[in-house]
Amino acid sequence: MKNLIAKKTYTIPFVIWIIAGTLIPLASIAYYGFTSREGGFTLGNILAMFRPDHMQALGLSLLLAFISTAICLIVAFPMAMILRESRFGKQGFLIFVIILPMWMNFLLRTMAWQVLLERKGVINSIITAVGLPPQEMMNTPGAIVLGMVYDFLPFMILPIYNTVSKIDNSLIEAAYDLGASRTTTYTKVILPLSVPGIVSGITMVFIPALTTFVISNMLGGGKINLIGNIIEQEFTINSNWYLGSGLSLVMMLFIIVSMLALQKFDKTGGANLI
Amino acid sequence: MSELIRLEGIVKRFDDTMVLNGIDLSVEENQFVTLLGPSGCGKTTTLRIIAGFETPDEGRVFFDGKDITNMPANERPVNTVFQNYALFPHMNVGENIAFSLRVKNKSEDEIRSRVKKALKLVNLKGFENRRIDQLSGGQQQRIAMARAIVNEPRVLLLDEPLGALDLKLRQEMEYELVRLKNELGITFIYITHDQEEALTMSDKVVVMNEGYIQQEGSPQEIYDEPVNAFVADFIGDSNIVPGQMVDERVVKIDGVEYPCIDGTEEGFPPRRRVDVVIRPEDIDIVPYGKGQWNGTIISKLFIGVHYEMLVQSEDGKVEWLLQNYDQHDVGEKIGMKVDPENIQIMHKPKSDAESAIEIDL
Amino acid sequence: MKKAIGRIYILIIMLFLYLPILTLIVLSFNEAKSMSVWTGFSLHWYAELFQSRLMMGAIVNTFSIAILAALIATIVGTMAVLGMSALKPRTENVLLGINNVPMLNADIVTGIALMLFFLMIGAPRGYMTVLFSHTVFCIPYVILSVRPRVNKNTNRLFEAALDLGASERYAFRKIVLPELWPGITSGFLLSFTMSVDDFIITYFTRGAGINTISTLIYSEVKIGIRPSLFALSTIIFVVALLVLIIVNIRQERANKHALA
Repeated sequence: MKNLIAKKTYTIPFVIWIIAGTLIPLASIAYYGFTSREGGFTLGNILAMFRPDHMQALGLSLLLAFISTAICLIVAFPMAMILRESRFGKQGFLIFVIILPMWMNFLLRTMAWQVLLERKGVINSIITAVGLPPQEMMNTPGAIVLGMVYDFLPFMILPIYNTVSKIDNSLIEAAYDLGASRTTTYTKVILPLSVPGIVSGITMVFIPALTTFVISNMLGGGKINLIGNIIEQEFTINSNWYLGSGLSLVMMLFIIVSMLALQKFDKTGGANLI
Repeated sequence: MSELIRLEGIVKRFDDTMVLNGIDLSVEENQFVTLLGPSGCGKTTTLRIIAGFETPDEGRVFFDGKDITNMPANERPVNTVFQNYALFPHMNVGENIAFSLRVKNKSEDEIRSRVKKALKLVNLKGFENRRIDQLSGGQQQRIAMARAIVNEPRVLLLDEPLGALDLKLRQEMEYELVRLKNELGITFIYITHDQEEALTMSDKVVVMNEGYIQQEGSPQEIYDEPVNAFVADFIGDSNIVPGQMVDERVVKIDGVEYPCIDGTEEGFPPRRRVDVVIRPEDIDIVPYGKGQWNGTIISKLFIGVHYEMLVQSEDGKVEWLLQNYDQHDVGEKIGMKVDPENIQIMHKPKSDAESAIEIDL
Repeated sequence: MKKAIGRIYILIIMLFLYLPILTLIVLSFNEAKSMSVWTGFSLHWYAELFQSRLMMGAIVNTFSIAILAALIATIVGTMAVLGMSALKPRTENVLLGINNVPMLNADIVTGIALMLFFLMIGAPRGYMTVLFSHTVFCIPYVILSVRPRVNKNTNRLFEAALDLGASERYAFRKIVLPELWPGITSGFLLSFTMSVDDFIITYFTRGAGINTISTLIYSEVKIGIRPSLFALSTIIFVVALLVLIIVNIRQERANKHALA
């Protein structure tokens, strides 16, 4: 059918934008990633991921991102269900309360945990006031996980809530009607139907957690290196764009693989969820 | 009556799909013309070409003798009632109706009085300040009508305007439409896939399929004398059976010979293979052996005023559809007869147009 | 019982979300620099914040970049949505696929990619490069919010307006634009907040001369946390709270209006 509103030429600025802002920049990462300092083609920047220190950073990144995503998911799902079942007015208030922290700069939110966890911070002063010895909480992987969960939790709750809130009540009633127990209804009806929300929640938490260098820098005190920190340092401190680009390409590979896996999971409707 | 709109050899393709295959159509002033056909038959495209939303690949559109093929939609003296009304959701009823008057920079006084008049015409007096989403489907339909007629177009195009309404409302609106047309004294071109709507309201029905006009004529003509199996099947339930002319004004169906009123003069000489249409209400039930042919009732449905029965003809392969007021039981053997003038003889499909239809059947 | 568990659960989550923020707010009024001992009420951290030239410059940069980036992204994105509806579905899908890249990609990769691009073309990094980079990640959000509004129905309403005699310009202004407006405004607001909130992409594309609130916080935190940052947190929190409350009230009013 003929479209009367629009002309194809309206897309021209956009096309220029995605070429200059997305395609060429990505291509330049690829270019630097496969180029040696001397200017020749090399796989060295890619293979540098296998250096022990890089492998360790990547391994730790994957581990911490995985743990914090899992914690977010476990915490967020019941929250989304509670939201779904709460009354309309209260629901609006609760969503408001979850969104509000997202509006605060995440650096400040991360800083708040620094204030709480530091050797002379709020928590330790409470602990010592009770007469216990101060705890070393900062600069640990645990602090980083805590920061990730704190920063990204709303990004898990909201998409899951969005999908579960759209599940028709009659489906749940139908499950009960057909003799399903509460548990069965959850595992066989509600959980599979909320897969799209879970998938987008995981994407929104896992990828920033995997690639962060800020949280690890602030709560890890520069002593714990994640893959994000390694890459950032190659660009800002070592000025080795070639190596930095090569490692970025490998990291992108991990992002793409995890997204494809999630997408497949979404398409199968989470059939292998349980 | 004089001719107001003429389509000449309209051809339209969408990405290599032929949508209109050379449409010739003439609409006279003050006529209620209905384009009738299944979805995808090209009726909506025909309407959009008249409205100016599509340009034909070939052929011309004339309005009052003037070629308007390339005239933009906003300059044509036609207005449309859209299928889903296309009421502007961010404007209230009054603003919607006033839209075309505001475009023309009419004075606010004139706008107010004409909106009022239009609302009165569609029986929704005082609805000016209602919001669109406060209206029922039937009311939205009327507002869409009011908006389209407020500018006094010479032709009103209606694209399945009753499609979204329930049955009772639809029947009510059919009367309304006819009344409105008479009051306004303008031409209506109406699109529907509902044969009942078409037969009830129209002066002229144009049956379309696969981008071809199959038949045009008064509702009576279309119903009584369908020119081919498609039209017969589309206009109401029918028995459409293959037959062969065996003599002047004698046709043989399923091994039985019947007198009919068509012969060489009408283009059906002896030995010619034909299609025969017999309406289910035209078959009379008589005691077994007393009719022209016999059969056994294999199913029966009660449909409001009458019964609908399927009858398997004796030693034949044809299942006949019958409508009858009398009660007969399934399994009963009956005789049947039909008057010669109720046997409608049709040509077997031979042209491109007609063989295209055959696929549907 | 079930209800009680639910309430406790909500309470724990709320405490987890708000205790750190509350701590910052309380400490912002503390007289001492200490992060643990309360020595008395004071507003002098706020005074320090407002006297900081660096911070004021960063605030101006943050908001001017956010407004400009959101504006450019809204115009380019809305035009793109309209134009794409006239394209073949396959072409449209390719464009939408590329459009999604900055949204799905990790910010660090987007930031590095843009930085390399600027270095390659020899563009001096500063205000303009940050602004351009922000439009790059804002456009996808505009397209995401405007696109659902351009559908078959928009086209039908446009046709209806033409049918009633309107010129294409008039029909666009009076019918199409009001239809798209909610999508356009939410795209603009989304872009604005994404831009204000961004740190990572700004960090890589800003060069040395310019700071936004985020980059300034980062460099200050690295040196050592000063309570003026707590004051900043408090102000941002209060502003966010007020904005959200106003938005909510307006929305509720609109809903009530729709129901009436």
